Order: sequence, then C-alpha cells, then structure tokens
Amino acid sequence: MSLWKIVSFLYKACDSDASAMLVSRTRAVLNRLPMLLFMAWRNIWRNPVRSMLTISALAGGLVMVILYAALLEGMTRQMVTFATEISTGHIQVQRQAFIDDQDLYATLPWSYLQTVEQKFPDIQIAPRLYSAGLASVENTSTGVLIKAVDPQREASVTQMLSHVRRGELNLAMADTLEDGLTRYNLVIGAQLAKNMNLEPGSELVLVTQAADGSIGNALYRIAAILKPLEPAFDRIGVLMSIEAYQQLMYLDDGFHELAIKLDDVTQLEAIQAALDAEFKSLATSQPLDELGGLPVVRNWKQLTPAIADMLELSKSMVLIIGFIVVALASMGMLNTMLMAVHERSHEFGILLAVGMKRRWLLLMVLFESFFLALVSAFVGSVFGIIIATYLEDPGIDFSASMPDGYDWAGMVFEPVMKGYLEPVHVVNACVLMILVTMFASLIPSWRIVRLKPVEVMR
Amino acid sequence: MIAEHKLIKDKAISVVTLYRIFYGFVFTLCLSLTSFTAKAIEIDELIHHIDELWRGSTSHATMSMSVITKRYQRSMTMEAWSRGKDYSLVLIRQPIKDKGIATLKVEENIWNYLPKINRVTKVPSSMMSGSWMGSHFTNDDLIKESSFQDDYDSSITFEGERDGRRIYEVTSLPKMNAAVVWGKIVMLIEQDTLAPYKAVYYDEEGLLIRTMIFDQPQKIDGRTIPMRMSLQPEDKPDESTVIVYQDIVFNVALEDSFFSLQSLRQRR
Repeated sequence: MSLWKIVSFLYKACDSDASAMLVSRTRAVLNRLPMLLFMAWRNIWRNPVRSMLTISALAGGLVMVILYAALLEGMTRQMVTFATEISTGHIQVQRQAFIDDQDLYATLPWSYLQTVEQKFPDIQIAPRLYSAGLASVENTSTGVLIKAVDPQREASVTQMLSHVRRGELNLAMADTLEDGLTRYNLVIGAQLAKNMNLEPGSELVLVTQAADGSIGNALYRIAAILKPLEPAFDRIGVLMSIEAYQQLMYLDDGFHELAIKLDDVTQLEAIQAALDAEFKSLATSQPLDELGGLPVVRNWKQLTPAIADMLELSKSMVLIIGFIVVALASMGMLNTMLMAVHERSHEFGILLAVGMKRRWLLLMVLFESFFLALVSAFVGSVFGIIIATYLEDPGIDFSASMPDGYDWAGMVFEPVMKGYLEPVHVVNACVLMILVTMFASLIPSWRIVRLKPVEVMR
Repeated sequence: MIAEHKLIKDKAISVVTLYRIFYGFVFTLCLSLTSFTAKAIEIDELIHHIDELWRGSTSHATMSMSVITKRYQRSMTMEAWSRGKDYSLVLIRQPIKDKGIATLKVEENIWNYLPKINRVTKVPSSMMSGSWMGSHFTNDDLIKESSFQDDYDSSITFEGERDGRRIYEVTSLPKMNAAVVWGKIVMLIEQDTLAPYKAVYYDEEGLLIRTMIFDQPQKIDGRTIPMRMSLQPEDKPDESTVIVYQDIVFNVALEDSFFSLQSLRQRR
C-alpha cells in the first residue's frame, strides 16, 4: 500500500482534478476486488460438473502440449548428442580441398596436431584419415569408405568405438598367417557386414590406390561390427587404425580431419575462433602445399546443418502446435462461459438495475474465466509433469519393432524415444493457455456490456 | 489404218518410254543400292578393323605406361595377352611394388590377382569406369570390354581432307541397352592406312571429357598400328597418361586354360 500512497501523493501533488478522479476510481475498484474475486470463485462452483468438464478439457490440452514439448526436447537433445558425441565432435578441422572433393592429398601435417594439443589444454582432439577403396571377400566386391582413427584419442572425443554390436573392438595387428602375411584388425558398419555376409573373425581384402599411385592392397580380419552410427558409415564404412592405414596408403605426412571435443560446450564459439586463428598462424609459419587449400574450422552446427535447422524449427513447432491444441481446448471454455452468462442474464439485469457498474460485472466474468484457466493450468501441469517424468526415465521403447533404431535427417536414433522436461516449457505452456482462454472469454464478456436490464428482467 | 497404225506406234513408244523410265528407275535404284551397300560394308569393316587393330585373333604385347598427375609421376611396364574379345590378361612387370599384379578378363568377369597377399579379387562391373592402376585410363579402356561393333552405332560423318590428310570421321553413339561409359565417341581415321590418329570422348550430356592421340604408326602383319596412345583428360590440362607398345605379336598360340584363375595364381 505504501507504493499506492506515493502514487496518489504524486497525483495530488499534480493537483489535477482528472488525475484525482482516476485515482479515486481505481481505488474504488481495488476496494471491491476481494468481493469480486470471491463472487467469481463461488460462481464457478454453482455448476460443478460443467466447470470440471471445462477444466479437464483445458488441462488435457495442456498435458498434450507439455508432453509434445518434452518429447521434442528429448529428441533434439538426442540429436545434439548423436551429432556431437557419437562421431562428429563439437568442432572439426579439415582442409578446403578435402571438404570439396575428399582430396586424398589435402592433409594437415602431424606437427599441427602437437601444437594444437599443447596450446589448447581444455579440448580433446582426435586425428582421422579417409580413403575410398574396394573391399573383396570370395567372389563379391563392393566400394567402401576407409576411415582411420587413433583408438586412444578417438575414445576421448567420441563414443564411436564403444558402439559395438558384435565382436570385440580392437584395431591392433591381428595375426600373421602361415605364409608370413600380417593382418590388421578392422571394424565395419552393420549394413556392410550384412551385405557382404561378414562376421567377426572373417577375412577381408582391401584394394585401393595408394598415395604414390601404386595399388595398395592388404588383408584384414574383421574384429567387430559397429551399431548404426550414421547411414553412410553404416553402409560402406570400414574402420582401421592410423598405423594400418599408413601401411596400406603410403600416406604418412599428415591427417585429413581433426575432431575436437570441448570440456565446456558453452565456449563453442570462442574456442572455434581461437582455433581458427591458431590454424591461420600455423598455415603461415609452416606453409601447406597450395593444392589442398587452407584449413577450415567448423562447429557441429555448420557440419550438420540439418540438425541445427531442426533445433530452430522445433522451437517454433512447440509454439504452433501448442497454440492449436490450446485454442481447441479453449472452445470448451468459450462454450461454458457463454452458457454461464446466458443463464445468469436475469441475475445480471437485477444487479445492473440496483446500481452495479457494468465494468465490475465484466471484470467478475473475466475473473471466472481466469480462475477456470488457473485451475486447469495447475491440474494440467501436475499431470503433464508426472507423465513427462515417466517419458524421461523408461521412455517409449520401439526396440521390438525397430531394433536398429531409426534414421532421420542423416542421423541414426536409438529405438528408445526419451522425453526431456524443461521447466520453462511448462511455464510457457501455462502462460500460453491462460492468454488464449482469456482472449476467448472476451466474447461472453461482451454480451454483458450490451445487456439491457429491462429486457432481461422481463 | 494409218491412224490405227499411228495409234499402235504411239502406244508402243509410250510403252517403250514407260519401260525406259522403269528401267532407269531400277537402274538408279540399283546404283544407289550398290553405293549404299558399299558404304555400309565400309563402316562395318572400318569398325571391325578398329576393334581388332590391337587385338587380332590372339595377341601378345609388351607396353609401358607413364602417368603424370599433379601429385605424382610414375611409369610402369606390363605384358598383355588377348584372345578374341572375350579373353585378356594384363600383367604388371614394373615397378617392383606392383610387380605381378594381374588383371584377367573372361567374358564379362574381371579379376585382379594381388601377389603381395596372394588373393584374387573380383572387380564389380560398377568399377568399369574407375581409373585403372592410377592412370587416366579406365578399367574399361584397358580390358576393352566394350567394342564399337557390339555396343555402338557408328556412322561415317565426314569423308575427305582434314588436318592435311585424307580421313574418315566416324561418330559412334551407344546402342540403347549398351553398358558403356561414353555418350559419344568421334574417331578420326586415316583413309590410306586405316589407322586412327585421334579419338574424342564425350559424356551423356555431350560434354568433352578426354582426347586420345594415336601416333608412331608401325606396319605389323600388313596392318598399320599406332604404337603410342596419349590420353588427355579435358578437366585436368596438366595431367596425362601415355601408353607405348614396345612390341606386339599377333596370332600366337594361346590355350583357353591360359586365361584362368589358376594360371593367374601360377604366374607370380
């Protein structure tokens, strides 16, 4: 009340008749506010069944919106996790010619790796090499993508190597055959294993064109088959150690790609900029050949634009879907309030006749709508949170019908769909619902403004 | 009577004229037919000649290949045998790193033998347009799986003097269901020797992809055979591949069993 006193004092200080009148009027409304609120609350429960039905319709809509938001949030979080932690990393560095057409010779020298490792202690880095090749077993051959990683470093950046479906992950030298041939271990994608009928322990021949133009060829032993990571790798991916790659490809002077994981993801842009500057200065101090182009530092949003777009889209999706659901539910509210006003028009007529101000009546009806919305928001949030928590923990399990998960936007998802409840989503949904229902209740209120006491009392 | 006679005479004359016209027509028809068949035989013969030029019924050749790319430069020597269009075998002699790698073609199947790992791998038909041994030649070029006769409809599109010599220009378009790499091949052939000196390759969109120059002709078994082939890809002006035949012998005795996986392994 002290604030009110200051305001009224200021108005009085202005010594204006108009403002004084406004103050007294507002004060009059405020004085009657408890009474209006009380009447509104009692009015709701004059027809408890109708009010309960309205509340359940609104609360049900709200539950839907909360669940939808939770599932979408869960999915986008899973996407971000997959996009960054499974194989991409937060940041990648490649040379322009490698980005453009997978140029085998567009390598970054090994000295760069050491420099970056020393200058950036807060990031984990993993070098990778790629090549195209022909995989053969018995009488079948197929084109494959050869990917080479450093197992220790890769494990600190991505979980790629831990997604083993069958076999044991091992990229070291496998064995030596009777005729003196050595075999390295190889890890392959699930679909490739299926297409070529390979099992852990099978032998595979890889033929490719080595960096010096000669025919690189070597024998390998399948050590493990990976779970689906990304559709492309799943179908044609072959994973080996960098050591094995260098013996096959005669390409020792560098690596194609640097995958980087940040300890603190919020620093993404800052570290990206620092890395970019570092690689630029490295490119001037230790020049690269011209054909391969300059090193390019990109973050996961730039590397997987489909997912970054999806994240943006999901935000507006929640708003649009939420608005539609709540708008439908508020039709129930509109109906209830129209009925309530209609059956009480006689009563309103009397109130008006004995001198009740129209605006107070209007305010009272709006309060009724507001209470209905408030109760619905409370009930809906409670149920929404309970169900969303259930979605968060066991989740929805599709593994019976889709054991490999599903792929969407170039990503493979786990078969268990999990929600994630963001508290701000619940608050947003409640605010959205209250706003929409209040807007809907303006229509019944309008009837009060136009009510003619003489007609309705007849 | 006179009038009647005249009528008969007129009739006779008209009949004779009719005959003459008819025979003239038949004659010109025959003429055009003979000239048409002459040309048709010529194109078939020409194509057959080109297809068989480096092949004969059987052949044995030694050749060297040098590849220049912007990244590396390498040369290799190889030995090749062929029998008809269904059998061929190419064996790398040098450099040491690739020595003994053999490519065998029997009908539609292609195998590579890799001596380092002592394994035979099958080359899928989808790899036919892929580079052969890091050169600008495709697997298809080397193995000559496709032939002008079977896979292309060829026609002589120019006959006369060009580049200071009398030539045939043969344009070949792929047949409807032919599994070939090119959309159009234009080959320039010298009329006197029937030896090609230039071939230009286009893709399905009609874009110029590569140019092959044939030179250093040599007369072997009465046929003029260009001993050097230089391949120039259109999109990489500073790269090229040159194949030189050191030696080529036709009609050598080669058994069917020579072109088998067993002999592939034994050859190491």
